Amino acid sequence: MHIMACLKPVPEPDTVKVDLETHTLKRESAKLILNPADRFALEAAVRLKENTQGKVTAVMMGPPNAAPLLKEAFACGADEVFLLSDRAFAGADTLATSYVLAKAAERLGPFDLIVCGKVSLDGETAQVGPELAAWLGWPSVIWVKEITYKDGQLVLTRLTDEGEEVVSLTLPGVITIEPESNEPRPPSLKRLLSWAEKEVPTLTAEDLAAEPERLGLSGSPTRVLDVFTPTYEGKKEYLSGPPEEVVEQLVKILKERGLI
Amino acid sequence: MSYQGVAIFAEWTGKALHPVSLELLSEARRLAEELKTKVLAFFISSPEGKEAAQALIKHGADEVVWAFHDKFSSFLDDLFTRILVKMVEAERPEILLFPATARGQALAPRVAGFLRLGLTAHCVAFEIDPEERRLIQIRPSFGENIMAKIISLTKPQMATVRPGVFPRAKAEPARHGEVKPFPLEEEELKSAITVMARKERPRPKIDLSQAKILVAGGRGLGSKEFFEKLFELADLLGAAVGATRPVCHLGWVSEEHMIGVSGQTVSPRLYLGFGISGAIHHLVGLRHPGLIVAVNTDPEAPLMKRAEIAVEGDVRQILPLLIQRIKALKGVENAS
Ligand SMILES: Cc1cc2nc3c(=O)[nH]c(=O)nc-3n(C[C@H](O)[C@H](O)[C@H](O)COP(=O)(O)OP(=O)(O)OC[C@H]3O[C@@H](n4cnc5c(N)ncnc54)[C@H](O)[C@@H]3O)c2cc1C
Ligand SMILES: Nc1ncnc2c1ncn2[C@@H]1O[C@H](COP(=O)(O)O)[C@@H](O)[C@H]1O
Repeated sequence: MHIMACLKPVPEPDTVKVDLETHTLKRESAKLILNPADRFALEAAVRLKENTQGKVTAVMMGPPNAAPLLKEAFACGADEVFLLSDRAFAGADTLATSYVLAKAAERLGPFDLIVCGKVSLDGETAQVGPELAAWLGWPSVIWVKEITYKDGQLVLTRLTDEGEEVVSLTLPGVITIEPESNEPRPPSLKRLLSWAEKEVPTLTAEDLAAEPERLGLSGSPTRVLDVFTPTYEGKKEYLSGPPEEVVEQLVKILKERGLI
Repeated sequence: MSYQGVAIFAEWTGKALHPVSLELLSEARRLAEELKTKVLAFFISSPEGKEAAQALIKHGADEVVWAFHDKFSSFLDDLFTRILVKMVEAERPEILLFPATARGQALAPRVAGFLRLGLTAHCVAFEIDPEERRLIQIRPSFGENIMAKIISLTKPQMATVRPGVFPRAKAEPARHGEVKPFPLEEEELKSAITVMARKERPRPKIDLSQAKILVAGGRGLGSKEFFEKLFELADLLGAAVGATRPVCHLGWVSEEHMIGVSGQTVSPRLYLGFGISGAIHHLVGLRHPGLIVAVNTDPEAPLMKRAEIAVEGDVRQILPLLIQRIKALKGVENAS
């Protein structure tokens, strides 16, 4: 089985600085890490290929400095890795992102299965997987926690609001993997070293034969109008001072209001 | 032809209408009134959904576009997408809302992808720009305490809505509307997915949504041992215990106690937050809180700003004193 695993580079939360003037994230200053949920997606892909004598191709749309994360993906069992990187991709929302991933699937495939993480730490939309399936005209199943493969069909356990369902999926298809549903293997040092010197292959918009108007900001139908920090007005009590007194005041207020 | 109406995806669980559909209806009604247009419900269910289709009218829909078939007792991502895409093309709503449930999150991006539309995930509020008839979609953004206002340049303007943020629409028995059966063709009913078995899980053991009093704790409590004190306070007050995401991940308390985007939505009469900074991810979980009390060493913490009663102090001192004081109040013997 030939599997594509979609891995996203995300800023490490504690390294992101917020510009207090504009309330926007200073992404340049952030250190990039592999989206935590995508480790489980990669592991699911690698296990499935091991059971089916297949191959895993990991792709990542991101800036050039995300390349080391793909070396890590190689060390965790991906057979081939590609960085999808082009200035024209900048500012992509989920539709424009999933378009690039779909073009990569066409260029690097044919694939039987595409595996995504459930949700990214920064975008937090959980949209890219099912949107990618739509671009390809494929079915998708989200929140998958167990996978078995038999005769061209995947049998999947997916989470639902009511509990769980076991479903079969006729391939090709896209699935998103529930975090914590497996135990991602640590990177193999041997594999890591074998790649230390090599460059991560990069594909540009041109390599993917992508339509320019579908890319980046111009291919993105959503726009951020504004970001703001909510403020809450209203009457306030501010209690400070010796703890005993503060507690006494607090209990008095709660009693007066009939809350305790 | 122009785009008209505010549409919702009304969710069928296989047996009943998902209650989140009523939350979407109440917000769709509000938006439609601002835009002076109608409310549509796109509803895909097994034939038993007939009463539910009527219920959608009573709860605020003007038109229910209803596709029904025995096959639709199972949720089939590809098939439901195909039907919805056709419904959207036939009805051309200017706004289309999905619940951010398992089914809604599986479908909305597929529909958006097929129609090449913008989609905003997990919205917690909406505004209308009446001049442009634009839907301003509000959601928490990456990073603490930032909300983003997002618009779509395409129509219908699509968003998923976080369950629990909007009130449920109430039934008005006198409301009238039309249930329009949606024509289906046999060859459209194929799916690459077959549901083989279903295992229902009981609701979370700890349901915070009904709690009248919540005592919640964050990283400021310092340790699992000290976090335990919250349970002591909760017992005294007949309260439930809530937590922030980091402390659940630290293993101080199980995830069933989490409040916020990734956890539960609560509406207590009293919320006492100890050592909680008040990140937006946490605050969106407080739906209609009565009184908010924050205890924090940092007067600048967002929860201290949000709280009606901000207590500046060290939880390690305040919490034991508070327990002691309330024990005295309730006449409980101090065992230690
Ligand atoms: C995609 C995403 C989803 C998320 N979902 C959720 C969610 O559902 N729920 C959630 O809660 N969080 C969620 N978070 C995390 C959220 O952004 C915050 O990081 C988190 O809520 C902060 O938790 P905290 O207040 O316990 O910790 P901190 O932010 O570390 O705050 C600790 C507070 O304790 C105070 N303090 C320290 N010592 C003391 C003391 N001795 N006495 C009194 N006060 C003290 C500090 O001043 C500080 O204000 C999410 C984050 C992301 C990125
Ligand atoms: N830039 C990207 N490159 C590769 N995969 C991505 C990218 N963005 C999103 N994905 C995939 O889509 C999933 C969901 O992302 P999101 O829709 O941002 O929550 C991620 O877990 C990844 O598997």
